[in-house]
Amino acid sequence: MNYDLSPRESAWRDEVRAFIAEHVDESLSRETREVGNEGRGPRARRFLDALRDRGWWGLSWPKEYGGLEKTAVEQWIFIDEIETAGAPMLPLTATSVAPTIMRIGSEDQKQEWLPSINQAEIDFALGYSEPEAGTDLASLRTRAELDGDEWIVSGQKMWNTMAHMATHNWIAVRTEPDAPKHKGISMMIVPMDAPGVSVQPIWVWPGLRTNALFLDNVRVPRSYLIGERGMGFYYAAMALNFERLSIGSIGMARRHFRALVNEVKTRVVDGRPLREDPWVRERLARLQVEIDAARMLGLETAVALDRGGVPAAESSMAKIHVSELTQRIADTGCEILGLNGQTHAQEPGALAEGRMQWLYRIAPMLAFGGGTNEVQRDIIGFMGYGLPRK
Amino acid sequence: MDFTPTPEQQELKNAVREFATRECTPERLLAWEREPAGIDDATHRAIAGLGWLGVGVPESAGGTGGELVDLAFLVEECARGLVPRPVTGAIRAVAALAELDPAAPVLADLVAGRRLLALAFDEETARAPGSFATAVSGAGTAARVDGAKAYVPDGLEADLHLVAARDGTGTSLVLVENRAPGARAEAVKTFGGDRQAHVAYAGAPVLAWVGTRGGAAQALAVLQRRQVALALAEMVGGMDAVLEMAVTYVKEREQFGQKIALFQAVRHQIADMGTQFTAARHLAWQAITRVASGTEQGHELASACAYVGQAFKRLCWTSHHLHGGAGFVVEHRMRFHSERAQSLCIRYTPEAPALAEIATALLG
Repeated sequence: MNYDLSPRESAWRDEVRAFIAEHVDESLSRETREVGNEGRGPRARRFLDALRDRGWWGLSWPKEYGGLEKTAVEQWIFIDEIETAGAPMLPLTATSVAPTIMRIGSEDQKQEWLPSINQAEIDFALGYSEPEAGTDLASLRTRAELDGDEWIVSGQKMWNTMAHMATHNWIAVRTEPDAPKHKGISMMIVPMDAPGVSVQPIWVWPGLRTNALFLDNVRVPRSYLIGERGMGFYYAAMALNFERLSIGSIGMARRHFRALVNEVKTRVVDGRPLREDPWVRERLARLQVEIDAARMLGLETAVALDRGGVPAAESSMAKIHVSELTQRIADTGCEILGLNGQTHAQEPGALAEGRMQWLYRIAPMLAFGGGTNEVQRDIIGFMGYGLPRK
Repeated sequence: MDFTPTPEQQELKNAVREFATRECTPERLLAWEREPAGIDDATHRAIAGLGWLGVGVPESAGGTGGELVDLAFLVEECARGLVPRPVTGAIRAVAALAELDPAAPVLADLVAGRRLLALAFDEETARAPGSFATAVSGAGTAARVDGAKAYVPDGLEADLHLVAARDGTGTSLVLVENRAPGARAEAVKTFGGDRQAHVAYAGAPVLAWVGTRGGAAQALAVLQRRQVALALAEMVGGMDAVLEMAVTYVKEREQFGQKIALFQAVRHQIADMGTQFTAARHLAWQAITRVASGTEQGHELASACAYVGQAFKRLCWTSHHLHGGAGFVVEHRMRFHSERAQSLCIRYTPEAPALAEIATALLG
């Protein structure tokens, strides 16, 4: 039993930290705070370019595709350090789409897409959800019908974040209308400049932009269906596997918690240091314990992956814990900061970078997004403890 | 990162699990509860014969070697299988003495199960060495102990007490014969099965000094942290058993014409138990391994105390709830675990001081 980083892991962590120290500064943090995800600002783009120049877009990729094939623990270290620094995370194109193509694409498809992904010439939005297909993804209705050498795609996607910036969309479509619903779905690439593609902004509570994507008789080449017909639902699940480490990561919440603690250390209210308030001390200590627990759940997932497992239950545990804990951190943080706790990030007097109120607004999404916590609890029951489904 | 035991540790775990499955049946658990010692002589001797009392004791003193991590695996499995508390108490006490004085002549008898040692540290209103009222005075064969120790596990049955006492301005650890004139132990009825006693010492003679006279405070502090680490291991074992029982029960029990596991409200309670157990197991073992190697980096032990004890109790409540009346009958294993959860938590991992330590680490 050993909970310490190995010398190799420690060296990797130091390398990531040195990179961050060189490339992340206050102006990047400020830009990230100010723009949300409404487009990546110029500093974020430079940062991601620097990551790509370093070869780190391919952290998880197999070596045969120019990847570094880092272990899951090393990927976990990377995610944790990036989030701790408040730096932009790798794009889903690199962490989800590319590894899926590597595993399921034909040789021609790999040749067509992977080099341009690697050169950052193309960038994907992910289109899974629909107005009538959220948690029940397999009931999606967007259809693709073969017409000669082209697919004709029609339907609507929801929560298509980054679609207004992306060059391509990675969507799940129904290609086999007569098959059982889980077996009639395929994965397809749709260029955003194809005729019939349109995007409408959807603004959500924390000030972030996402989109609705409309597909009206869009024609795409037959070869843009990736992998096998009818396997799309399983490919989407596979893509989710690649996201397990980041979905349950505590790094972001811990960074905001540390900022909160730093404010509490110096703030004086009614002539009394806030840090001496026993109520504040207890609340912060409780949150720290839960943060320590979250770290363990993330590590459990990473170590299980490195042992060759599919830690579905473990990563669901991390996702539930982190999402619900983030809600508590945000809630407690706003209250502890008092009237200042409602202040927006743009206000110069905002404590903890004005992030507590932002975290309070974004926290609900963490629990219902990325697979609702009810579904995650079902996964734990079925996959972790063998509970019966019927 | 390596979350797996060594082959030797796994072998020890398997042996304990096999023993517990065979011996610690509901009938015997009830029978042992009626025994003054909490276990019958034959079983105690059998366990000594298996070498469990020699784990953490050097081979030169009759033990089988090993260190804190091995002890933790041992008591984790004992707790999972509901091996009687006096056994884990004996394991703890022998290893503690071996750590303080590997050459103590009495170790061979303790390892062989011929004599029993109890750790007599706590007092009714004092848990920190600086607050102890019990004192040792005099020198050589005239040294005597005066005072009172409270809630001493196995305090009545033990042949020897390892007493922590004030000694002038310092702290000393001494061995006292329980049946010597001037020592009087009285059983106190508590739950948790660890056979506690209040002990009064009125001029009780010192049998031997353990460690440096007057300078035991530091050793005692280290010893207590290691005792806490072992408690965390026991808690992990108990939680694992409680979760497994709950999972088994909801898969079997039918109501409204179906297995109750099919109800999402039930299933989700299992999921939350599983999440808390997984986090607790790693927080506990992180703390155990860091305490064992003396490489604590921050507040790992406090964090484990604050989380694991509470999680164990929550798991017990939830498992009781899912079992309903079936788990509430006196012979059911659940209530043994629930009693041990609180008994361990009160003694070793109370939440408030752990949170206070973490708050200090965060805020000064």
